[in-house]
Amino acid sequence: MLKIHTKIHTVQNLNCSSSSLPLIFCSDWGCSSYVYGEMFFNFNDSRMADELYKKVRILCWVMTGPNNLEKKTRHVKATWSRHCNVVVFMSSVDDPDFPTVGLGTKEGRDQLYWKTIRAFHYVYEHHRHEADWFLKADDDTYVIVDNLRWVLSNHTPEEPIYFGRRFKPYTKQGYMSGGAGYVLSKEALKRYVEGFKSKTCTHTTSVEDLAMGQCMEKVGVLAGDSRDTALRETFHPFVPEQHLTSKFPKSFWYWSYCYYPISEGPNCCSDISVSFHYVDSSLMYLLEYYTYHLRAFGYKYRYNPPISSKILYKLQKNKNTNLLIVRIRLNILGKCMFLI
Amino acid sequence: MTSPKNLQSRTVHARETWAKRCDVTLYMSSTETAFPTVALNVSEGRENLYWKTIRAFQYIHDKHLDQADWFFKADDDTFVVVENLHLILSSFNPEEPYYLGRRFSPFVKQGYMSGGAGYVLSKEALRRFVKGFETGECTHFSSIEDMALGKCMETMKVPVVDTRDVLGRHTFHPFPLDKYVIRKPPGPQAWHMIYDHYPVIEGPDCCSDYAVSFHYIRPVQMYMLQYMTYHLRPFAYKYRF
Repeated sequence: MLKIHTKIHTVQNLNCSSSSLPLIFCSDWGCSSYVYGEMFFNFNDSRMADELYKKVRILCWVMTGPNNLEKKTRHVKATWSRHCNVVVFMSSVDDPDFPTVGLGTKEGRDQLYWKTIRAFHYVYEHHRHEADWFLKADDDTYVIVDNLRWVLSNHTPEEPIYFGRRFKPYTKQGYMSGGAGYVLSKEALKRYVEGFKSKTCTHTTSVEDLAMGQCMEKVGVLAGDSRDTALRETFHPFVPEQHLTSKFPKSFWYWSYCYYPISEGPNCCSDISVSFHYVDSSLMYLLEYYTYHLRAFGYKYRYNPPISSKILYKLQKNKNTNLLIVRIRLNILGKCMFLI
Repeated sequence: MTSPKNLQSRTVHARETWAKRCDVTLYMSSTETAFPTVALNVSEGRENLYWKTIRAFQYIHDKHLDQADWFFKADDDTFVVVENLHLILSSFNPEEPYYLGRRFSPFVKQGYMSGGAGYVLSKEALRRFVKGFETGECTHFSSIEDMALGKCMETMKVPVVDTRDVLGRHTFHPFPLDKYVIRKPPGPQAWHMIYDHYPVIEGPDCCSDYAVSFHYIRPVQMYMLQYMTYHLRPFAYKYRF
């Protein structure tokens, strides 16, 4: 039995003479309208989040070392990494108590790419069936995993693609900033591992993010565009304060590295940002509160990210959800209205 | 509450972020400017804070009483989530006397509200405050603005309100978030923890999801807090509170 809600919903500033019709979805958990790519959903339960958790499985591996466990890594463990489907802490040494995986390398900046190579191989060998996407983050990166699921929901793990904050130098298609975190599809991970087996990829440089980008290019993995539908960046190489308020001098490397045009001020950062870097231990807890708790009661957000039709279709098929799709557009007194 | 030297360094950032969300916003200073600021006919300086407060509330009572139901005082380094203030106030009748904020216990029997965290007077409370100074029941007996105002509220029989949420978490905060949510190493309690009337919990239970204010917020942090409150959110997340 389909539930039909009969409310008239007015949309301001809608061009009624346009030929594209608004698309309305109604279900037990609220009504939403699809108007020119914008969707307004009321999530009064966790069905959407649960679906995304099941369908966009993310394994997070955190690059760390024995000296950081107390000062930094345990705060990552207490905050954002809990939202990953699987989390693995990668170090040079095994620590069964934390726990961390020992990669058999030494510590130090020059070991970074060796650690990365071994970490991805470890994850491929031990965990590839547990996830669809594989994220690398530092122990001073803060990741909003729910928003990463949104970015990835429009793609499939069978695509050879990877996402992050795209930089342009040194490579043809660009590469992803290591500190801001980057995520490989299952196919990308498979090609990475096979690339080393076939010696297509090697330890070219200890600059981990650049070396990863060079390998990805060689094995045909696409450097994805992780910006939101308003073309705002989601992965960030600095803390929120700096992106929102700093005026970096034009000589600063950042200007010449970013693949896409840089926006300073409020347009720097998507409402559904995925990551920030150089986040110290205190800021981890502050960000967890600011993201998952603090909000303005009753506030109507101005930016509403569209939901991929793949996810919606899966929700529709779920027997617990009654979904009615109605395309009705009425032009009454010059105002566009539609029946929900 | 501001001053000429703070207008461009602090107040402009409060105006660009949260202050526009109030129904009426007034910037109280010692001099009139095109900011715009209201001239209170009081000199600047910490010792004049309570004089400024008295004059500010008298000015509002004379010129703006009908434009609002609730009257909220904040500093130029307070960040306020006005929607959450609406949420708390919506349960109360502004024609009754009410005085809300972060309750401190010392010096005043029923307690007084921290000045930095911001406090609210209902319309009736404002009437009584102004009347108290007309009849002499309230006087400028101290320059400590928040405590002195609290004493006047008690004298004029304006009751205090517990503004914590249903889980006992605070909504008004006299310090930035990190003072409360980050656990401190064991040691002597800081003064602000001793003044608090209701128990202060360290860690995530310190602060309500619907927090109203934070104090000692630097200008750069105003923009960060605005982004955190009105923009950044986890997609499809079902909030637990």
